[in-house]
Amino acid sequence: MKLEIKNVTKKFKNKIAVNNFSMEVESGECVGLIGPNGAGKSTLIKMISDIIDPSIGEVLLDGKKISKLKKEIGYLPQYPNFFHWMTAKETLTFMGQLSGIKKEELTRAIPEIMSKVGLKGEENSKVRTFSGGMKQRLGIAQALLHKPSLIVMDEPVSALDPIGRREVLNIIKEIKKETTILLSTHILGDAEEICERFVVIKNGEKIEDTTMGELLNKNSKNKINVDITAQSHDWIEVIKGLNYVKNVDVVGNTVKIEVDNIKSNKNMLLTNALEHNVDLNRFEIANDTLEEIFLKLVVEK
Amino acid sequence: MNHFNVLVKKEFVQSVREFKIIWLPLVFIFLGITQPVVSYYLPLILKALGGGQGITIDPNMAAQKGGEVLASTLGSQFDQLGVMIIIVSMMGIIQSDKANGMLAFILTRPVTVISYISGKIISNYLFIACSVALGYLVSYAYTSLLFTAVNFIDLLVALLFYLVWILFIVSFTTMISTIFNSQGIIALISIVFLLACRIMVGLSPVIDNINPASMSKHAMELLIVGKTSMDVIWSLLAAFIFTALTIFITNAWISKKKFHSE
Repeated sequence: MKLEIKNVTKKFKNKIAVNNFSMEVESGECVGLIGPNGAGKSTLIKMISDIIDPSIGEVLLDGKKISKLKKEIGYLPQYPNFFHWMTAKETLTFMGQLSGIKKEELTRAIPEIMSKVGLKGEENSKVRTFSGGMKQRLGIAQALLHKPSLIVMDEPVSALDPIGRREVLNIIKEIKKETTILLSTHILGDAEEICERFVVIKNGEKIEDTTMGELLNKNSKNKINVDITAQSHDWIEVIKGLNYVKNVDVVGNTVKIEVDNIKSNKNMLLTNALEHNVDLNRFEIANDTLEEIFLKLVVEK
Repeated sequence: MNHFNVLVKKEFVQSVREFKIIWLPLVFIFLGITQPVVSYYLPLILKALGGGQGITIDPNMAAQKGGEVLASTLGSQFDQLGVMIIIVSMMGIIQSDKANGMLAFILTRPVTVISYISGKIISNYLFIACSVALGYLVSYAYTSLLFTAVNFIDLLVALLFYLVWILFIVSFTTMISTIFNSQGIIALISIVFLLACRIMVGLSPVIDNINPASMSKHAMELLIVGKTSMDVIWSLLAAFIFTALTIFITNAWISKKKFHSE
């Protein structure tokens, strides 16, 4: 199932939530939609799951209007809110039947999906007794139940504590093997863990569509950090004289070296250090952290 | 049709879980008992409490007939407190689904808007109609015990007339619940509008012909006089047209996805 979002714009009364947004998601891909709060992620997700209509543009699944293929989509809202008077099993039966699954199949599929999302034994508990993480897992179960070919998740882990987060991330990693996933988050680290591809959105516009590796490469600045012991400080003078070294900064025992070309120069630098019998504690390529990259992308552009 | 069944079943389970299935019929049974019992004992009560000073109970006062008492059960009990209770009991029918996101959630499934609405209206209507009918029959039982019996056919036809009015109440409240987001506003608009409809009955024959609330008047007439005017056809037609209109507006409102507050 190929998802195409074509020049989608969504206007609300006095603001444009999503502005001329286009992207394609191939079958089997896992795409993380990243952006700060209020960037238009939820609006976009809601348009993909046919909860709201775009003002301009269209969302197609295999070339067909998304509203005709609702069976193929599993949707997990940001705060899954079920009828609190229903039990977990009744909720899944209700949603399953609305998705057009037969009763006999549900009696077989529900226990299976409950144990998959780690809610085994909670079949007959009322949803009102559920914690946030359990509701999230029930939401995932509901989204998976009818075996959709595309799963759309709106901030699946943002509202959870670290334990719940871990559990849900593991479940998503598991289901990633079988379906196409599109999820939104404002935490780059979460997306990094599950998805290969990122689409960064800010003020309703797509500002980056890339992979983790590319993103890191693009943002590394040809810098190498070397930790050395105090008696090897003489070496600093040596490297200052090397022609490929552009700049040297010393902070305590850490030497921050900027070179011309990180790829070809890093081994030369290491060889040089070994030749001078430098007492090395650490040798690393200095990357911006994901957090920094994210901030840079979102704040600067 | 399968989705419709699922949604209707959900509504019934919900009314059982929320004990609505107990209290709503009880309210109507209580309202049904009130009219005959109070009418019957009022002279006695007045005599006992009034101290006999300055109050004369006219001994020549015509004894009320069963039909009249039953008619005032509809007119004074069901059409006032009853209507308000119906509205309050179902003001959240769509509003609560909107508020907690279930409406949007349900519509991400391959469910048509019309099966969602018809599931809501039909299940709630059947339940309310049964409650009203129950209260009405209990009222009838007391009436025939304390006053005179009512022709059985008239009794049933009058109930059917009255239930047409109830249908409009249900569909109108559903529409208001779809359009507005606050329960207080929904209750206020529905109560004011529907009671105004009821009060306007009898003011002008032209308005009566297009007023769904005049179905209630026709039911009362039938009980009191034993026959009904041909105008009932117009009122019947009007009631069905207005009900269809409210359902149409509800459907359009949800289909156009206007229920999002953003």
